Amino acid sequence: MSDRVPGVQERGERGPVRRKGVGVPTSGWFDPRGRAIGGFAFAVNRITGLGLVFYLYLHLTVLSLLLRGEQSWNDFLKLATSWAFLSLDVLLLFGLLYHGLNGIRVALVGTGVVPNRQKALWWSLGVIGTILLIGGALHIYGSM
Amino acid sequence: MSTIRTRPEPTPTRARGSRSARGWGLTTISGLALLVLVTIHMIANHFVIESVGGLRSYHQVLEYISTPVIFVLEAIFLVVVTIHAMLGLRGVLLDLDPGPAAQRWIDRGLWVLGVLTVAYGATLITVLASRA
Repeated sequence: MSDRVPGVQERGERGPVRRKGVGVPTSGWFDPRGRAIGGFAFAVNRITGLGLVFYLYLHLTVLSLLLRGEQSWNDFLKLATSWAFLSLDVLLLFGLLYHGLNGIRVALVGTGVVPNRQKALWWSLGVIGTILLIGGALHIYGSM
Repeated sequence: MSTIRTRPEPTPTRARGSRSARGWGLTTISGLALLVLVTIHMIANHFVIESVGGLRSYHQVLEYISTPVIFVLEAIFLVVVTIHAMLGLRGVLLDLDPGPAAQRWIDRGLWVLGVLTVAYGATLITVLASRA
């Protein structure tokens, strides 16, 4: 019986985890080629998540400048209020909105509250996220 | 039909299954809590301040963090965001298909990193609050 199942012989070998259909492709979760929305959303969710972890430590490092006193913080503020730096804030806002809103979608689907509306949720939360991002970007650049 | 080639896994046990489910549940709960905490953090720090980029001055930061309610909220935020980040990192690392020994080291490493992160962040906000 087991001989008829393809791939059984290869199961004993070490190597990358490969699955059929949706999920992680053989080339890795970060590969966007040939993905449906679910796989694409998953890859972007991971990339934004890793970016946010990096930002967490960057944020703690920046806040440590406060320990050095007022002058250090004022020097940082001069840099942080430049156009280029504020653009990074918009990128951060995108990461937060995408990761947060996609997290809502994953929680709703994964807990079985809305199990069959993945695409509709992705698009509707995408619209909400885009509106919030535009509003946030206008606020950030508008403060210059 | 694509080839299936995976590491031979031990027979799934109740403990292994429930641990994975606990991880997913904790990630989801911490994620939902973060939605509230990040929203508060972002609005309080960047969207109600009348300055370029919504950044507080040195004295505004000290005044802000020394407010008891804000201090508690920021401390909770620190703990929850660290838990969520460590669980997320764990998920990414486990997708690299490490062996059982490597998996244990990953868990230990993330525990240490998480505890250090919370300890450093808590020290930071405590020192800043005490300077107000």
